[in-house]
Amino acid sequence: MQARQETGGYRDSNRATFRFFLWTLAWLLTLALARFGPGLLWDEQQEVASWVAVAANLVVGIGWIVAFARYLKAIDELQRKIQQDALLVTLGVAWVGGFGYVVADHAELVTGDINIAVFPVLMSVVYLVAFVFGYFRYR
Amino acid sequence: MKNRISQLRVERAWTQADLAQRVSVSRQTINALETGKFDPSLPLAFRIARLFNRTIEEVFLDDQ
Repeated sequence: MQARQETGGYRDSNRATFRFFLWTLAWLLTLALARFGPGLLWDEQQEVASWVAVAANLVVGIGWIVAFARYLKAIDELQRKIQQDALLVTLGVAWVGGFGYVVADHAELVTGDINIAVFPVLMSVVYLVAFVFGYFRYR
Repeated sequence: MKNRISQLRVERAWTQADLAQRVSVSRQTINALETGKFDPSLPLAFRIARLFNRTIEEVFLDDQ
């Protein structure tokens, strides 16, 4: 049974955290480009430019997922547990809330339409709150 | 699970940060271990016991 992080583990985790931060930044920039580029940087009729921006966002998004997986592998076990708990709460809220909305909408209990963009924003807020809660819980 | 990490660390005049660096975890993890808020994995428990030249049973106490 050999500990993977026996030497230089903490340094490796700092490096992985920084890389994950850079990928997050890159993904947010490409997201902003895909969202605000049409009309602001190029004509909305130029669909090729819009497709390129969306493709760039998806490709960088894949890089972000890989960076997140590497980050989770690099951090120590308590940090990983905090992340795992935060992701569990986020997935639970997304699942329960999402399906709750679907059935309520199907039963015509929801009068207005909710913008789909609310969903990832809600997930991000839940994740951040759960992460901060976990961080202070084990402080 | 109770443990003697804090006692063994203080005997060597190490800070939590010193111990954290020696076993390649964050200081927060050492603090959570010492206060009993978090139980370590078996590899980390072995690493800590080996660092103190003790067996796992001498460092970690079964409180059940």
